Amino acid sequence: MNTWEYAESIESSSIVNIEKKYGIFIDGKFQTAKSKKFIKTISPSTEEVLSSISVGNKSDINSAVDSAKSGLKIWSKLSGTERAKYLFKLARLIQERSREFAVLESLDGGKPIKESRDFDLPQVAANFFYFAGWADKLDISWNTKGLKPYGIVGQIIPWNFPLLMLSWKVAPALATGNVVILKPAESTPLTALLFAELCEEVGLPPGVFNLVTGDGTTGAALVQHPDISKIAFTGSTAVGKYIQKETADRDIGLTLELGGKAANIVFNDAAIDQAVEGVVNGIFFNQGHVCCAGSRLVLQEDIHDEFVSKLEKRMQSLRVGNPLDKNTDIGAINSKEQLNKITSLVDEGVAEGGSIFQTECDLPSNGFWFKPTLFTNAQPSYKIAREEIFGPVLTTLTFRTPEEAIEISNNTEYGLSAGIWTEKGSKILWAADRLQAGVIWANTFNKFDPSSPFGGYKESGFGREGGRHGLLSYLKVQS
Amino acid sequence: MSLTKESQNTLNWSSTVELIDNLRVDEVGLKERVASLATRSIKKDSKLQALNYIVSMCDLTTLEGEDTEGKIGQMTAKAIRPDPSNLEVPSVAAVCVYPALVSKAKEMTLNSDVKVASVSSYFPSGQAPLESKILDTQFAIDQGADEIDIVINRKAFFEGDYRKMYDEIIALKEVCKSVHLKTILEVGELRTYENIKKASLISLAAGSDFIKTSTGKISNGSSREACYLMAKAVWDYKTVTGFKAGIKVAGGIRDSKDAIRYLVIVNEELGGEWLHPDYFRFGASSLVDDVLKQIKKLKTNAYQSSYYFPRG
Amino acid sequence: MNEVKKTYKNYVGGKYVRSESGKTFRIELKNNFYEVPLTSRKDIRDAVVAAKKGFAGWQKLTPYNKTQVLYRLSEMLEGNIDTYQQILEDSGLTKVKAKQDIKMASDSLIWFAGMADKWEQMTGNLNPVAGDFFNISHQESIGVIFSLNTNENSLNQLLLSILPSLTTGCSVISFSESNSILALKLAEDINNSDLPSGALNIMSGNFSQVIDDVSNHVEINAMAIYKDITKDEKIIIRENASKSLKRIFIKPSTSGLESLLPFLETKTVWHPKGR
Repeated sequence: MNTWEYAESIESSSIVNIEKKYGIFIDGKFQTAKSKKFIKTISPSTEEVLSSISVGNKSDINSAVDSAKSGLKIWSKLSGTERAKYLFKLARLIQERSREFAVLESLDGGKPIKESRDFDLPQVAANFFYFAGWADKLDISWNTKGLKPYGIVGQIIPWNFPLLMLSWKVAPALATGNVVILKPAESTPLTALLFAELCEEVGLPPGVFNLVTGDGTTGAALVQHPDISKIAFTGSTAVGKYIQKETADRDIGLTLELGGKAANIVFNDAAIDQAVEGVVNGIFFNQGHVCCAGSRLVLQEDIHDEFVSKLEKRMQSLRVGNPLDKNTDIGAINSKEQLNKITSLVDEGVAEGGSIFQTECDLPSNGFWFKPTLFTNAQPSYKIAREEIFGPVLTTLTFRTPEEAIEISNNTEYGLSAGIWTEKGSKILWAADRLQAGVIWANTFNKFDPSSPFGGYKESGFGREGGRHGLLSYLKVQS
Repeated sequence: MSLTKESQNTLNWSSTVELIDNLRVDEVGLKERVASLATRSIKKDSKLQALNYIVSMCDLTTLEGEDTEGKIGQMTAKAIRPDPSNLEVPSVAAVCVYPALVSKAKEMTLNSDVKVASVSSYFPSGQAPLESKILDTQFAIDQGADEIDIVINRKAFFEGDYRKMYDEIIALKEVCKSVHLKTILEVGELRTYENIKKASLISLAAGSDFIKTSTGKISNGSSREACYLMAKAVWDYKTVTGFKAGIKVAGGIRDSKDAIRYLVIVNEELGGEWLHPDYFRFGASSLVDDVLKQIKKLKTNAYQSSYYFPRG
Repeated sequence: MNEVKKTYKNYVGGKYVRSESGKTFRIELKNNFYEVPLTSRKDIRDAVVAAKKGFAGWQKLTPYNKTQVLYRLSEMLEGNIDTYQQILEDSGLTKVKAKQDIKMASDSLIWFAGMADKWEQMTGNLNPVAGDFFNISHQESIGVIFSLNTNENSLNQLLLSILPSLTTGCSVISFSESNSILALKLAEDINNSDLPSGALNIMSGNFSQVIDDVSNHVEINAMAIYKDITKDEKIIIRENASKSLKRIFIKPSTSGLESLLPFLETKTVWHPKGR
C-alpha cells in the first residue's frame, strides 16, 4: 500500500526562556511571594518539569489588592486615550513576540503549535487591539454617560486557552478603566508570567495589572477579599456556583463563563462535507478542551449512516502527537486528572451501551493522551450525552423532525453554544430563535472575534465577553 | 501499465441525476479546510518523496500555435530524462500536445515509459458540434495517442442541458475505447463550487477515467479548492460505484511548494493509493524545473538556478 | 532672495505626481518658498480613477486590518513629529500651540484607528418588524469622497477632514490650498503606511479652479467641505451635484460618532424565519 508519511517538523523551543522559579507580579514588578509554597508546572506531553511557581496565599492577595488600589489611583486619572495607547503598545508587543508565546503555550498546556500559532496568538493580539480602541470612546459605546468602571477586578482563568482567556479578561477590564488582579490556572501559568514582563516593558503604571499564581486556595482567597468590586471567572460550572454563593453577602459585579454540552445539529439538507468538517472542528479542536465544544452530534436520522461513515474517515486523518510538531492536529490532554476524568466517562459510555469508534494512532509513551473518540447508538439519557467530558469525545444522538432537534438540544442545564447545519436560510433563523444558547454558529463552528459577544444561557454562566456588549461586564451603572 | 477501464465505470442517466440533484457546498467552510491543509509542513524525507512523486506525475505540456516537431523533440527528451545529472529522478508520466504533434511525440517517446496525451474535442473552447469533436479525437488516437484530454461542453452546462454534456462524454469515451480519457472541467469558468462538483460527477458518471481542472488557456486555472472538490466527487463516486477515478490539476501550478500542497489534499482526502501517476497528474511546463531545483537543493543544501537543467 | 526649497508633488494612487498641466503655485513659509502642484481638472480625473481602485483595495481589508493600518499610520506620525512641528512653527504657530496641535492630531488618529472596527456596532441594528422575518439594517461605505480641508495651519484639522470618511472604509481625495505643505508632507507618512494605493490621495491647488469638475464628476460619490465657502460656491456645488444626486456635506462634524454618519449608506435585508 502506497503511503506518504510526513516527517517530523518540530518548532524549536529554544526561543523560550523559562525561569526555574517564579514569584508574583505586583506593584509593577516581579516579587517573591509571601507564601513559601511552590508547585511544579509540567509539560503534559512529556511530563517534564518546566518550572516552579508560587502558590499565592491570603497575604499575597492582600498585597495584590494594595497594589491594585495604588494602581487605580493612577489609572483613573489617565484619559481614555492614554489607556488606549498602553493597550495598543501591548498589542504590538504581543504580535512581535507571538512565536515565543505560542511555543510557550504549547509546552505548558499541550495544545498543538499549529493552534497556538494560528489561532490563540492572533486572537490575543486582536483582543488587545480591539479593546484598546474602546478606551477613548466609552461615552458613545452605550449612548449613556452613566456607566463607570468597577475599580478593582479579580479575574480567574482556566487552562484550556491560557493566554487567550487572559486577553479576554484583561483587555476589556483595563480599557474600561479598571485595574486587575489575575489568577491564572494552576497548570498553565507561564504565558501569563511572560505577559507580565510585557506590562513592565510598556511601562504600565504599577498596580494596574497584578498577577498572583497558585491553586484553588489562591482563587478562593481572591474571591473572598472584601475590596474586590467585581469578579470575572471562567471555569467549571461547579466552581462558578461556589463563587456566586460565596459572594452572596456582597454587592459586587459577577460574570461567569462556565461549562457546556453543545449540540451540533446536522439536518439532512446540510452541505455534508462541510458539516463533517464543522463537527470535527467542533469537538476535536484543542483536544475538546473547549467550553463551547460541539460535544453532542444531533444528527437527522435519514443521513445517519452516510454522515457517520464520512465522519469516521475524516477522524482517521487527525494526527495525534507532539504539540511542537507543526503537523500535529491533536495535542496532549492537559493533566493526569483530566485524562482520568475522560477515560472514566468513556468507560461508562461503553458500559451504558454506546458503540465506540476510536481512531487508530500511536500514542507517545510519556505524557497524557486520548484518541479521538466517537459514540453512536447513544441515548439522551446516557451520562456521555449529559455530562461535560471536556475531551476529544463526541456523542451522537438522532432526531427526526426539526422540533425534536430543538428539544434534544435544549434538554440540558447548559446553554453556551450550538451549531446548526443546513443550507436552508429560513431554517437557520427559525432554529436560532428557539435554541437556548448564547452563541449560535450556523454552517460554521468555533468562530471567535473580539467584536463578537460570547457567553452562556442557563448554567453555562452569565455576562458576555467581547464586543460592545462585553464592555458591560466591566462597567456598572453609577449609583 | 493500463490506465484504461472499459465502460463498467459509467452510471446510467437516472442514477447520475440522483447524484447531482441537491448538491450542496458551503464556500467558506471549504476554503477553510483547504487553507488548513496548506499548513502541513513537509520536510526532509517526506519532502524528497513528494518531489519525486511530482516529477513522476507530471504531464509535460506544450499547447501553442507555434509548436513544431523540433519543439516536441526538445520536450520529449526532457520528459524522459528531466535531470541528466541525477538519474534517480524519474521520467515524467506523459507529454501533452495538440493532435498534429502526436505522431512526432510518439516517435520520440517510443522506447520509454512516457505516455503521449493529446487534447481533443475542439480544445480549449469545445464550441463545435459533436461530430467534429469525434473526428478530432479519432484522429489523435489514429496518430498513436495513449491518452486523450477532452473538454466538457460548457455551453451545454450553462444552458442547463446536463444530459447533452453527459451524452457527449459517453460518445467520446466510445471513440476512446481502451484509450485513457481525461475530461477537463475548466473550473475557472464554472466558478461556483456547486458547478464544479456537478460537472465532476457528470463527467465521472459518463465514463471519464480522470477529471481535470483546466485547459491552462484562461487566466483562472487550477485551484486547490477545485482539487479538493474533485477529490470529494471522486470519493463519492467510488462509494457509489466502486470505481477509482483519477484527478489532474493543470494551469497555474508554478512551484514545488504549491504542488506539494496539492499532494497533501490528495493524501488526506483520498489516501496514499492516489499518490501515483495512474491516479494523479500535474499538467505543467515550468513546474518540473522548480521541482528539480528543490531536489538538488535537498541533496546539496544549496539554492539552485534553472540554467543547470536542460530546456524542454 | 531665498531659493526655492523644495517642489512637493501630489500623492495619487500611491505615487508622487506633478500636475499634468505642469503648473505650480508658491507657498511661503517663514522666508522659504515651496512650489506645490496647481491641480487641474485632468488631475482630478486621474485622482478619481485612483481613488476607485483604492476604494476596492481598502474595502478588502477586514475592519481589524483597517484598525491596524491606521494605528501604524499613527506610529509613522510619531516618528516624524519634529518635521510637523517645524512646518507648523514656520506657518506661524507658536512652539506651544504647534505641540498642542500635534498631540491633538495624534489623539485623533488613535480615536479613529480604534473606531474602524467599532462603528458598525454603533450604527447597525436589527429591526423589530412585525412578522416572521429577520430584518437587519447595516451600513456600507459610500465610496469615493472628495474632502476639502480647512485653511487652518493644523495637522489635527487636516486629519479630521480625512479620518471620518477613511475610517468608515471610503477612499479619500483630500484637497488643500494655502496650507498644502502639511498635507503633502503627510503624504510621505501615508506612503510608508500600509494604506492600499489610492485609498488616500493628497492634492494641492485652488479649489475655485476645480469646483465644477469635482462637483460634476459622477464617480465622486460625496463631497465633504470642511472649509468655510461662500454662498455662491455652495450653490454651484449643490446644483452640479443634483445631476447625479451626489451627496454633499458642508461643514460636517469632525468628532464623535456623528462625524462618521455622512459616509455611510444603510442597507436593510429581510429573510423569513421558518422550518
